[in-house]
Amino acid sequence: MRHPSVTSARAAYVSLALVVAAGAAACGPKDNDANGSSGDSTPHKGGTLTVLNSDPQTDFDPARLYTSGGGNVPSLVFRTLTTRNRADGAAGTKVVPDLATDTGRPSKNATVWTYTLKKGLKYEDGTAITSADIKYGIERSFAPELSGGAPYLRDWLVGAADYQGPYKDKKGLSAIETPDDRTIVFHLNKPEGEFPFLATQTQFTPVPQAKDTGTKYEEHPVSSGPYKVVKNENDGEHLVLERNKYWSAAVDDQRKAYPDTIDVQSGLDSSVINQRLSASQGTDAAAVTTDTNLGPAELAKVTGDKELAARVGTGHFGYTNYIAFNPKVKPFDNPKVRQAISYAVDRSSVVNAAGGSALAEPATTFLPNQKSFGYTPYDLFPAGDTGNAAKAKELLKEAGYPNGLTVTLTHDNADNFKTSPEIATAIQDALKKAGITVKLQGLEDNNYSDTVHSVKTEPGFFLAAWGADWPSGGPFLAPIFDGRQIVKDGANFNASQLNDASVNAEIDAINKLTDLDAAAQRWGALDKKIGAQALTVPLFHPVYKRLVGKDIKNVVISDWTGVLDISQVAVK
Amino acid sequence: MSEALVATQAPEALASGASGARQFWRRLRTQRAATVAAGIVALLVLVALAAPLLTALEGQDPTTYHPSLIDSARGGVPTGSLGGISGHHWLGVEPQTGRDLFARLVYGARVSLGVAFSATVIQVFVGLVVGVAAALGGRWIDQLLSRITDIFVALPLMIMSLALLAIVPQSFPRPVLVTLVIGLISWGSIAKIVRAQTLTLKGLDYVAAARLSGWGAWRIARRELLPGLAAPVITYASILIPVNISVEAALSFLGVGVKPPTPSWGQMLTAADVWYQAAPQYLLLPAGALFVTVLALAVLGDGVRTALDPRAASRLGVGTGRGRGRGREAVTTAKEESA
Amino acid sequence: MNGFGGFLLRRTIGTLATLLAISVIVYVVFYVTPGNVAQITCGPRCSPEQVHQVAQQLHLDDPLYVRYWHFLQGLVVGQDYSTGTSVEHCSAPCLGLSYQTDQQVLSIILTRLPVSLSLVTGAMVLWLVLGVGTGVLSVWRRGRLTERVLTGLTLAGWATPVFVIGLVLMIVVCGELQLLPFPQYVKFTDDPEQWAWNLLLPWFSLALIESAAFARMTRSSMLETLAEDHIRTFRAYGVGERSIVGRHALRGALAPVIALNANNFGSAVGGAVLTETLFGLPGLGQELVHAVSVVDLPVVVGVVLVVGFFVVLANAVADVLYAVADRRVVLT
Repeated sequence: MRHPSVTSARAAYVSLALVVAAGAAACGPKDNDANGSSGDSTPHKGGTLTVLNSDPQTDFDPARLYTSGGGNVPSLVFRTLTTRNRADGAAGTKVVPDLATDTGRPSKNATVWTYTLKKGLKYEDGTAITSADIKYGIERSFAPELSGGAPYLRDWLVGAADYQGPYKDKKGLSAIETPDDRTIVFHLNKPEGEFPFLATQTQFTPVPQAKDTGTKYEEHPVSSGPYKVVKNENDGEHLVLERNKYWSAAVDDQRKAYPDTIDVQSGLDSSVINQRLSASQGTDAAAVTTDTNLGPAELAKVTGDKELAARVGTGHFGYTNYIAFNPKVKPFDNPKVRQAISYAVDRSSVVNAAGGSALAEPATTFLPNQKSFGYTPYDLFPAGDTGNAAKAKELLKEAGYPNGLTVTLTHDNADNFKTSPEIATAIQDALKKAGITVKLQGLEDNNYSDTVHSVKTEPGFFLAAWGADWPSGGPFLAPIFDGRQIVKDGANFNASQLNDASVNAEIDAINKLTDLDAAAQRWGALDKKIGAQALTVPLFHPVYKRLVGKDIKNVVISDWTGVLDISQVAVK
Repeated sequence: MSEALVATQAPEALASGASGARQFWRRLRTQRAATVAAGIVALLVLVALAAPLLTALEGQDPTTYHPSLIDSARGGVPTGSLGGISGHHWLGVEPQTGRDLFARLVYGARVSLGVAFSATVIQVFVGLVVGVAAALGGRWIDQLLSRITDIFVALPLMIMSLALLAIVPQSFPRPVLVTLVIGLISWGSIAKIVRAQTLTLKGLDYVAAARLSGWGAWRIARRELLPGLAAPVITYASILIPVNISVEAALSFLGVGVKPPTPSWGQMLTAADVWYQAAPQYLLLPAGALFVTVLALAVLGDGVRTALDPRAASRLGVGTGRGRGRGREAVTTAKEESA
Repeated sequence: MNGFGGFLLRRTIGTLATLLAISVIVYVVFYVTPGNVAQITCGPRCSPEQVHQVAQQLHLDDPLYVRYWHFLQGLVVGQDYSTGTSVEHCSAPCLGLSYQTDQQVLSIILTRLPVSLSLVTGAMVLWLVLGVGTGVLSVWRRGRLTERVLTGLTLAGWATPVFVIGLVLMIVVCGELQLLPFPQYVKFTDDPEQWAWNLLLPWFSLALIESAAFARMTRSSMLETLAEDHIRTFRAYGVGERSIVGRHALRGALAPVIALNANNFGSAVGGAVLTETLFGLPGLGQELVHAVSVVDLPVVVGVVLVVGFFVVLANAVADVLYAVADRRVVLT
């Protein structure tokens, strides 16, 4: 799971942990209109690109980063076995080779994956990148000192569940073999056709063991990408990246690396970032942001200004905001009650609370509305734009609540556009029309996470959100609906605690497929099938709108990240 | 205001109950600005109390959404002119939701004024008790209480509030909790003032005389000290009320204030600041309300002080070694906490 | 013990005791704050085994008193810690390591302290000038338009939260009029001129909300002095109003202004959270709020202690200045 970055800087301080990951991975705008209108849009090398961010890059260790597709700023320094295709729109959801010559060669049942490194790969000090360095990089991500990454490696690699990393366990992971300097082989404990997607994450970055300094490595990680870190002040608050002269475009067809220098300034208030980008004075003319969206108030202003509107990029990241039910809690054990709420929800007011129709699209499916996820449209409990109160009342009557119902909706107090008080009050207002009285239970951010992600304390009715680790149905559906992923004594994301043998079996069957298009179709069908149980009420998919400075060229926004790809941007 | 000079010409007031109170009111009434300010404060309190009536008169309530009055494609900015002001919505509607701003403003007054006034009462009460006890108690009691006071002055209010508001169960009513947290954490400065002032008063002739004639500490505190403490305490309280409104706003800003859909001025300001360009009236309404409140309280505070001034000018200045500046030592504010 | 030496000794002991008590309070309060620290540090998708490993790594499973004891030990003798590849020493006084970033808390504080001090010192100069100036003017020209406008202005500052003042100022001054660049912290040692230009707006925002208190304080103290007998005598002898207001009355306002200033200065060092956040200044307040949100106890305790130290120190300095200003006062 990856959360997109919050729109508001103040929320960033109240909300937590994943903000760091989001800051790392989430990204910017698209110059839709500018691409068409501006005359000389040919990008040239040179200049300094300024990045204005709210969240500091506190983690800059490839082991600790939790990214979708390798992140934005990190991807300038860290190359991985595979990476996301740096292209606009749907083409950008493809996985492509990076350090490796292809996206991986699976064994027949997709449990063994073999990669060969390109020739001539070098670090910033000129030494060669070897397959052993990639193995070491993955191993150190298991160290408790360097925790923070996604859970897949631990779940998928043979014998990795209890591995504690190379500092405590010198033997290393036998699941990864490096028969020679350019070959690396992964042994998985079950078929995983989507392994190439996993190999885009920063844990697949080569780390030379001799240069590893443990928790201090993030101060100067050794670059394998087009830029190296020359300055890292205040724990990631101010980063300066300059060209890595040992990087060559000949062995990297994804990163364009137009600017000579990248200057990342963070710790800024989100409204200040947007003000600076819209004013575009001085160095801000060559500035972008990789973590700050336009908020509704700013959008209201920008849409009235032609010049500004032309500098807004729009993107879609695979993300769904929804209501989660816990059927173990009454009255949500009754499907009719869950259906009644599904009918009663007023998606237009929820969308307004999330920033209006330009910043959120109403959702009736759990999967994001993108082809790569296997999006299969369905609307099983049609509520229309503003809710179907009559149908909801009818269902409530059938469920034994002819006089209405009082329920408690749990939400996060952080103002973060996902599970925030604004969304909760919009739902409260809508359900009133259907005779459902909603009491709000707002929890402080940490408390909210603890409460809703523990099977012991999970409330019956709460706001939740889920984002894609990569643009496919697998990491979207499995953690939420796979019965074997229910975690009894830790962070559980299968909120409905669904453990349906047919669902589990279908997940296993799809994971075996290495034909990702075929897999996508089946994920879509599975989504619709689960949707019939009304275990969630999908609310909306957010839309990212971001400004860029007036000198910015070559804005590329993929549907993988939904935001501008910093490796493509030019300032000249 | 030159009234201050006039008032101190007649310093022999307030020595004893009823006639003192009458004198006080008479003197307060002679100050035009203070009278107007008192009227405004009374009006604000009345508006807050009568919020349900006023909104009923308007025909709105603070929580109902009016999606038809906002432009969803433009971030939810109100469609009507001047932020959607109309006969139905006297002060327009809120961006993104279309909730009635007049209703939210008057209901917000309830929370903001309620929290600020009650928190101030708590601060004054705790400050008085601790300050007087420290000054009248023995050396050890004084040392102990003074160090405890130091701790509460040095603890950052914002941080302790963030932590405490997260600890207390959600079922506890939020406005009460915010009040208690503010009131029980930031009483340190007022305790310091009271202690210093009490020490000064203790040295004065009439208190010394009361002690010599065998009055108990409680009786001395009640009959002789409280009137002397009233002026600085009331002045300080008039500063504290707006500070507490700001603190509530800052807590909302940091996400731990009063919970939605309950409106408060602080919450409105927090939500509205980014709308300054797109929907200015949304920001100007709570900001204006807050400004009027603060201004009225400041002027009223001055007036009350002038009317009360228990011969401070002529009495405290004399000889006691602890000057009158000490009497208002560290009129520190929690304001920077909300900065 | 008497005299200045005795005063220093008593103050030092008192300060240490106060700081110790504060550290205990913070430990206890944050111990019971909700939030699974190990899970937050590890990440929301960490498995129970991983969370357990992290908890062990950070000694989160130890009882509270043991953890507090380690904290005290670190303060006195320092502490060794592992980076995974090597063992490092955090020398005394060691405030521990951040749970989140594994950095030494003291070094985090030392990089951020100059920012906070830059902000607060500059703002202090402005709020003294604005506040005391307004106070004096409002006494001197009492009842006239100037006084009313000035008083209204400072009260408007007082009444408006800093995130509103700051944002509006920034939009107007930097965005629309383009008179100043958008603030961005430049080290004093790198470029003093840029340092000042960039801090001008933050200084002004912070000063504006503080100056009302000074204006009120100055004004009421001066009025009080003006009512005193000796001033009446001066007047009777024909001393000019300007001299009476400027010299005699102002002296009376000195002490309370010093006291107020000490307190505001002390607590703004760690308390100017919203100003720092809005203007993107990497100061202590911002760090503190962030640390609270992720329950990063060592950082919270460290910053609160340093801030508490400044509050206490500022108050002690105020007492000394006060004694210098008014020789009747005995230091206690």
